[in-house]
Amino acid sequence: MGRSKPRLILPPTQVVMLQSNFYFLRHALFGCLAALVCCNSLAFADDDKKDATQNEGADKEGADKEGAEIDAGKLEFFEKKIRPVLVERCYKCHSAGSKKVEGGLLLDSREAIRKGGESGPAVVPHKPDESLILDAIRYESFEMPPDAKLSKQIVADFDVWIRQGAVDPRENSSSSSELAKEEDPSIDFVEARKYWAFQRPQAHPVPKVVKADWPLSKLDYFALAAMEEQKLSPAAKVDKNTFVRRAFYDIIGLPPTPEELQEFINDDDESAYEALVDRLLNSPRFGEKWSRMWLDLARYAEDQAHIVGNNKALFFPNAYLYRDWLIRAMNDDLPYDEFIRRQLAADMIEGIEPAERVALGFIGLGPKYYRRNDPEVMADEWEDRVDTVSRGLLGLTVACARCHDHKFDPIETEDYYALAGVFASTKMFNAPMTSKNPDGKGGDPKKPDPKKKPDPKKPDPKKPDPKKPDPKKPEQAMHIVKEGKVANIKVHIRGNVKTQGAEVPRRFIQVLCEDGSEPKAFSKGSGRLELANAIVARENPLAARVFVNRIWGQLFGKYLVATPSNFGALGERPSHPELLDDLAVRFMDEGWSLKKLIREIVLSATYRQSCNGSEAGLKQDPSNRYLSRMNRRRLSVESWRDGVLSVTGQLATEVGGKSIDVDDPKQTRRSVYSKVSRFELNSMLAMFDFPDPNVHAARRIETTTALQKLFNMNSPFMIAQSKQLAKRIEDRPNDAGSDKTELSSQIRYAYELLFARLPAADEIELATVYLDVEDVQQRKLRWEQYAQLLLISNEMMYID
Amino acid sequence: MQNDFSRRQMLESASAGFGMLGLASALQTAGASNLLGATAASTRIEGITNGIAPKAKRVIFLFMNGGPSHVDTFDNKPALIKHNGEKPEKTHLNRGGNWMGSPFKFSKHGESGVEMSELLPNLAKCADDMCVLRSMHTDVPNHEPGLLIMHSGHQQPTRPSLGSWVTYGLGSENQNLPSFVSLCPGNPVVGPFLWSNGFLPGEFQGVKVNTKQLKVEQLIRNLKHPNMTREQQRMQLDLLKKLNEKHLQLRQQDSQLESQIRAMELAFQMQKEAHVAFDVSREPEKVREMYGKSTFGQSCLLARRLAEHGVRFTQVYYVDSGKQPWDTHSDNNARQKTLCADSDRASAALITDLKRRGMLEETLVIWGGEFGRTPYAQKNKKPGRDHHNTGFSMFMAGGGIKGGTMYGNTDEFGMHAVENRVHVHDLHATILHLLGVDHTKLTYRYSGRDFRLTDVHGNVVKDIIS
Repeated sequence: MGRSKPRLILPPTQVVMLQSNFYFLRHALFGCLAALVCCNSLAFADDDKKDATQNEGADKEGADKEGAEIDAGKLEFFEKKIRPVLVERCYKCHSAGSKKVEGGLLLDSREAIRKGGESGPAVVPHKPDESLILDAIRYESFEMPPDAKLSKQIVADFDVWIRQGAVDPRENSSSSSELAKEEDPSIDFVEARKYWAFQRPQAHPVPKVVKADWPLSKLDYFALAAMEEQKLSPAAKVDKNTFVRRAFYDIIGLPPTPEELQEFINDDDESAYEALVDRLLNSPRFGEKWSRMWLDLARYAEDQAHIVGNNKALFFPNAYLYRDWLIRAMNDDLPYDEFIRRQLAADMIEGIEPAERVALGFIGLGPKYYRRNDPEVMADEWEDRVDTVSRGLLGLTVACARCHDHKFDPIETEDYYALAGVFASTKMFNAPMTSKNPDGKGGDPKKPDPKKKPDPKKPDPKKPDPKKPDPKKPEQAMHIVKEGKVANIKVHIRGNVKTQGAEVPRRFIQVLCEDGSEPKAFSKGSGRLELANAIVARENPLAARVFVNRIWGQLFGKYLVATPSNFGALGERPSHPELLDDLAVRFMDEGWSLKKLIREIVLSATYRQSCNGSEAGLKQDPSNRYLSRMNRRRLSVESWRDGVLSVTGQLATEVGGKSIDVDDPKQTRRSVYSKVSRFELNSMLAMFDFPDPNVHAARRIETTTALQKLFNMNSPFMIAQSKQLAKRIEDRPNDAGSDKTELSSQIRYAYELLFARLPAADEIELATVYLDVEDVQQRKLRWEQYAQLLLISNEMMYID
Repeated sequence: MQNDFSRRQMLESASAGFGMLGLASALQTAGASNLLGATAASTRIEGITNGIAPKAKRVIFLFMNGGPSHVDTFDNKPALIKHNGEKPEKTHLNRGGNWMGSPFKFSKHGESGVEMSELLPNLAKCADDMCVLRSMHTDVPNHEPGLLIMHSGHQQPTRPSLGSWVTYGLGSENQNLPSFVSLCPGNPVVGPFLWSNGFLPGEFQGVKVNTKQLKVEQLIRNLKHPNMTREQQRMQLDLLKKLNEKHLQLRQQDSQLESQIRAMELAFQMQKEAHVAFDVSREPEKVREMYGKSTFGQSCLLARRLAEHGVRFTQVYYVDSGKQPWDTHSDNNARQKTLCADSDRASAALITDLKRRGMLEETLVIWGGEFGRTPYAQKNKKPGRDHHNTGFSMFMAGGGIKGGTMYGNTDEFGMHAVENRVHVHDLHATILHLLGVDHTKLTYRYSGRDFRLTDVHGNVVKDIIS
């Protein structure tokens, strides 16, 4: 397809975005209008982007203005009305890629269509009467296409097109694949690899800083150097109360108890910080908190968006086994490279326990779409897998290349189909549970829920079935993947399964391979293990950076690269490139350890800053790009709900197991154990910004709505928890020397529980006025109302 | 490009789910009203307008789940009667039966002469306000993908729904109510994804209201505290407000905290307003009767009340707890009769009522299903009609639509849309256009590219716009 002919004016914003000449050269001239439409008009309506720059009248260089508009109009007509019909209805028999070219007629280039076949020219510009193609599609001479007549509208379109000169950008198509020619000149990979994200991260020497006594860890030097360059200075060190609450929520997703708070406050030794952080990192609660981040990006769910009748055959009733595996892997600090290998290819790693295959849920719990096995639908499923792996693990939007080469990044359609081939060669699979349960707890059925009486009629699904487990029944299986029929797939031209181009070997993304080397085709089965190894290879510039950035974002509320799943040209540039690279390199050098990474960050001086920075800093850097203070963060719905349950004393501590219904006000297990439905997301989760589990979620979006507040004010959950909190305060242990019934000491206890601090005098006073009523019954009610308002306060919802 | 506190961010974080009115006051509270600028246009997102002052401000989409039969309602096909019982030619797709002419008499109505069958006596009186699209077509003849395409423009459940796009683009028309509401008894097939925000922020999700019963407290979750009075709750929230404000004072200016405080106040107000807006029992008996006492009839009435209160997008589903009433595989003739009687009465009442209140011009009413039904019979003891996607009918009224119009045609048997074909993408483009939005400009950056409701498709059907 022609690159030189079209004269499309790129939207100015698009040109502005192009950061390197490389993109400009490639894309300024392409003529694939239909594909362009889906990617143009950068409205900046981006979940990731917060920049609303609309640079009107910017650079229109590269667009030949002469006759451009007329050409563009006719060209658009061709692209919208004519080309799709030719491709879909004619190319099968009349293109260079046809198995047998019928009637000696090729319709896949301007030259060929005008030359025509054995009967004469198919198209004569401006002369519909002489254009045989019109006769044929009117079923006047030939009856084409033979399977079904084109609509009147389409026939009329061809007529108009020919009358207007049959504008046709298609150059010679000697290749079998239209697509292969679509966007010549091909990518200059040596040039492309000069983009920051495609260069390997380097360790950096410690930069010189003025305030040399401030840094506590290596990362602080980078942060401080950036601040000093901006003439900013770090905020004060955060007070111990605030730090302990921050660290608890960040590392285990729960608040400290008053006892834990006191223990830390009373320990004046500097080593208290390290001791606290280490204790939290070793808590079994750690994996419960951090697995949720991974579940978001793995679009974890337990069913499908489409339910036909009451058919649950495509559901994942045992999806929780994968979630429990994640929690375990994180608690055990399974090195990240191995963590990835197992999730992509546990079945292909030698010497690994069969039960470990449950990690494959990363792929195996992906959406299964309605009418699956239809080629079109399977192509949609492959896109899900490619998207989840590429955005999730590489920060690259490879799925953009399903229909055309990536418009902004050096990712070709071939790259997409090379990866799609891996997943096309992989089968979703309900594996029979082994005698040893994959949750690692042996074959014994788990303790039954004491609150739930077993239904005598229903056999307990957890009990080992005397008969062999039937993997056809999802209830008796773990949902993983296995090798399918291994085969390369062909490029789908314009993403259409009906128009296939050249076959692409299964392989890794070319731009991520070494200079000068062609990507090596995968040779072991589907190639999943080779793919996993390529992702976590030291040579891959992206995997460690992307992961480190995600962890940073979790701990600071802002990412070093603000678009955590897009490190490509349309993503953001890192605010601290050296800091990111140095952390990434050390992360790999030090054994890909999540816990080490978190430990260093949480103990850094950068993290230990107060949220209140200098007035000058606030003015100069309101978005806090340069980290001269801590960001105030809103708790995720999980941490908030868990926090509420924790302060009311209700939180259940059992780790792992079947999923729960968080809408049940009596349910006291942690939110990570919630059922996650693609069909109908739990209403509380949905209300509080839990992401749609049908697709990979790059990060959470925060919204503030009145419906959330109605939940806070009136929901059975909040009312039940308010009562619990009031009761807990009433029943609290007697601290030395204070009167247990004394209002102020009760209020003090509430503040310690919820906010890890003591109340100020006016806070005690306000509460006292509210609570001090004569009538015992009234007083009890007031206490419940007061407990509720503390639970739904901003201070409860945010961490400083 | 991590910009300062941008306008966009402000909109995202401060809108409290209620668009411009709520936002304006939230911003004033935040002392940042200048951010709104002088041109607080009618859109929430900048740069999406089509440059035409829109007549339609809101949409009510009446959805006949299962797929109503076009040849029994709006698409008169004498050829079917002439060839009744004959086997269709091979060139027509046929999954079984013979041509089945409609037993229902068609006639022209109003000054404009819009044709309808005798199943729609009430709508017939609204003929001059209606534009019947007789050349609709969609991609597949299956409910699930058909529903998804009609709602989100895409076969897989990965995209935001029409109502989410509209409210994302235009914001809310009201201060104290949600802007996108789905009225449905139980769930339709596919279910909640039909009003999903997809990758758009959560506030643009449709609020599902289960219309199985119409008592206000049961319609909206958490609308009322089970035992606190309004005064008690006010007192409680006053103390909360004081504590939240103190918390804020001790911190440097933080718009997030401010919008939380604001949202709490909005919620308190919403309790009251929603009680009024969602309560159809406040309507005179005569009006309730006019809509019909069926679930669908009362839901249409509820939709009108919501429109009055500034709800931007309301979907009313003709659904029966997961069953698809319009899916008449058997006994088509008798079932069409019953279904149409209910739907005709309610839909016509809605149009008439809106018109009487002077609201029809700015309220776009859409009627239709996920596809149509075959012009030939599906063999059955009592014959039915099968799913049919290559030609079917819908209608629109109000909101700047050219009333008294019949647009497009199917072939002589009603099989395929042949003249002025309107794909679902074209319908979506046209709906957005009527709301003043250019469908090619309403985009959202997600996963590395800009997504549109109409993807790379969609042509505005200009001929039906007044």
